[in-house]
Amino acid sequence: MMISQFDEAYRNRHKLAEGWEKEGKKLFGYFCNYIPEELIYAAGFITLRIRGSSENIELADAHLPSICCSYMRSALEEALKGRYNYLDGAVFPKSCDMTRALYGIWKRDIKLPYYYFLPVPGKSTDAAVDFFIEELQLFKESLEKYTNKKISEASLKQAIKLYNENRALVRELYNLGLRDTPPLSGSEAFAVLRAGLVMPKEEHNAMLRKLLPGLSSAKGSPDGKVRLMVAGNTFETIELLQAVEDSGGNVVVDDIDIGSRYYFSAVDENAEPLRALAERYLRKVPCPCKHPAEPRLYHMLKLAKEYRVRGVILLTQKYCDTHLYDRPWLESSLKNNGIPVLVVDHSDTGWAGGKFKTMVQAFIEMVG
Amino acid sequence: METKQGKPTATPFKVVRLAASAALGTLNEIYYKELANAKQQGKPVIWITSMTPIELVYAFDGIPFFPENYAALCSSRKVAEDLCKAGEARGYSQDLCAYALCTFGIMFEKRGAFGEPPPDPDILIATEGACATHPKWWEAIQRHYECPMIIIDAPYTVDSETLAPRQKAYYVAELKEAVKSLEQATKKPFSMEKLREVVSFSDQASELWDDIDAMRAAIPTPISQIDVFTCLFPLVTLKGTKEAVDFYKQLRDEVKARVDNKVGFVPNERFRLIWDLFPVYHNMRLLNYFAEFGAAFVTDLYGNAFSGRLDSSDPFGSLANRYLSFFMRSASRGKAELYKKRAKQYHVDGIVFHSNRCCRNFTAEQPDIGAILREELGLPSMSFEGNMVDPRGYDDAQVKSKIETFIEMLEARKYPKK
Ligand code: SF4
Ligand code: SF4
Repeated sequence: MMISQFDEAYRNRHKLAEGWEKEGKKLFGYFCNYIPEELIYAAGFITLRIRGSSENIELADAHLPSICCSYMRSALEEALKGRYNYLDGAVFPKSCDMTRALYGIWKRDIKLPYYYFLPVPGKSTDAAVDFFIEELQLFKESLEKYTNKKISEASLKQAIKLYNENRALVRELYNLGLRDTPPLSGSEAFAVLRAGLVMPKEEHNAMLRKLLPGLSSAKGSPDGKVRLMVAGNTFETIELLQAVEDSGGNVVVDDIDIGSRYYFSAVDENAEPLRALAERYLRKVPCPCKHPAEPRLYHMLKLAKEYRVRGVILLTQKYCDTHLYDRPWLESSLKNNGIPVLVVDHSDTGWAGGKFKTMVQAFIEMVG
Repeated sequence: METKQGKPTATPFKVVRLAASAALGTLNEIYYKELANAKQQGKPVIWITSMTPIELVYAFDGIPFFPENYAALCSSRKVAEDLCKAGEARGYSQDLCAYALCTFGIMFEKRGAFGEPPPDPDILIATEGACATHPKWWEAIQRHYECPMIIIDAPYTVDSETLAPRQKAYYVAELKEAVKSLEQATKKPFSMEKLREVVSFSDQASELWDDIDAMRAAIPTPISQIDVFTCLFPLVTLKGTKEAVDFYKQLRDEVKARVDNKVGFVPNERFRLIWDLFPVYHNMRLLNYFAEFGAAFVTDLYGNAFSGRLDSSDPFGSLANRYLSFFMRSASRGKAELYKKRAKQYHVDGIVFHSNRCCRNFTAEQPDIGAILREELGLPSMSFEGNMVDPRGYDDAQVKSKIETFIEMLEARKYPKK
């Protein structure tokens, strides 16, 4: 198993999905880190993270102002171009203002058979968990109505087990980054984990099982690269990790929403399934749309220590409010803990690679 | 109204001030005096976001402070740009909500609309009732002042007709938690009786506001959009007090007299428009520019956002109904349906969108709302870019030329040449 196979699976994601659809499989799209995919899987769907691309925006301009985050604009663009026609449905969580607003916009502009809005609470208190269990019960019933099939407790438990396996396998990949000389680079690791967002978990698991043993025994070459963490939110531009590597750095760990904030934290397999899901999703490392925000900072500090990073690249999507509010605080808190920070404004559409590289080179020189 | 070329021209007119403005001025003065003296009086200053149930603040005899409202004041006093820049200098992006940036400026620079800064918060309350960014900037404020903060979680319903008992129950539990925290922070016991009284005043003010709002449907429309925006202050900040009720009684009577006598605020009303959404605080006079062409705004959803009926026999339950099914939280379809209804009730010729560049929350859906109104009602629209508080990047000449083109189009539709 080669890393390039993961990368291809990601790049060809629409084609592959169309193939699964032809085979009669049911596909379901979701946004963000707060949708318990296990529930959707148990209802008989493959769960796919809705992604954007680096292509220029043409069609979405008429539907979503340019001041909205490039991720949501680009995802809408993909849908308007018909690339998500293979989906049976899409679910939007209450995370940020964009996930709220885009629910209505997709519902009107993109014709899919099924839409759902999941009112995820903003807190993680016991009352919030109890409330979320009720919401999950309702979502479950809605899915059952749509598929005309009950979701059994056994199938839900099996889904939880499968997604946990995926988390555990990806965690092994993360563990490789702990070594002084990791057997794979940051961009390679990123290619592996982002493929998992857009393919059946069974398949991602099978690919990981083939990949991991070879990597575990491989000895990375001592290349003296400067160990870094990337933190912030989602991005498409894998080239930015390569630019880091070309500049003498290597991203060994992350705090991003499609990385450790997605893959860490397992669901309790011994608890009642809906409760276990509610607890896991509300009590995982929080994204900035949830409160309080401090646990995420502690997560970053812990990772920075464990992975012995020399600095953090704090990368924020332009126009992403919730992340932008936390940024000055995260930057100063990291610095107060002796961790240098490079602040980067990012947009996948029209990525300024040259400018990024110059910044990263200077940063690596400073911390190296 | 028309030149030889058929192009509409602006005709300046004399704005007739409302008699109620004098009372409004007094209310403003009293409020700011009380705010400044709060600490001496032993009253807690509680900074709240919009859609925080202000009724809780008054039930605890606190003085509410609305950074958003205050940023608007800073904007009209032309100090907002500097304050926003001060926020940016601390690492906050210029793309963020200008209400927030201005507040950060106040917080770091310790100055305000009149020089002196507003008093520091004793307690902070935030909710996502209107906007997911609110708890984010409140967290930043909290880290600065290190005072107690309450976040009231307000589950989103989106398709607002689906407000369910479980959502209501969770929110009511959140309110009761907030009450407990307020008891601790203020060291005062909660009084249900007091809350009922506040809720009753709040309801009366809202009822009066709704009456005034309904009277705007009269032809000609009795009051200007500027009046509506300025007269909102008590509904935003004093809702739950008797003073607000008294003020809106006076205003209602004055507006009713105008309607009865068919007095419009524009001398010759030719077009009736909807305003979406935020005021342009640094240039309120822009609204008069429409009036110079005989175009009057007859409805908006902004003002109504602050009105909501309550029931003093069920304070918590009615607060939940009011704040959870708040129409601005619905999906674009719901907002468009509201406008569709109003377009008919208020005899509307078009809609104007203020594309507020710092507010993704309420700007994101504007293109779709405009499209729905166009497709389903044939209602024309115009959109211009601005920022409610920060004048940077706002191009007055360009906006005015857009308005002229829009009016020209409305003219051709409504009054075609034979
Ligand atoms: S969290 Fe940020 S990047 Fe993600 S959808 Fe919301 S605004 Fe966009
Ligand atoms: S709704 Fe818009 S203007 Fe209001 S706080 Fe949120 S971002 Fe700011």
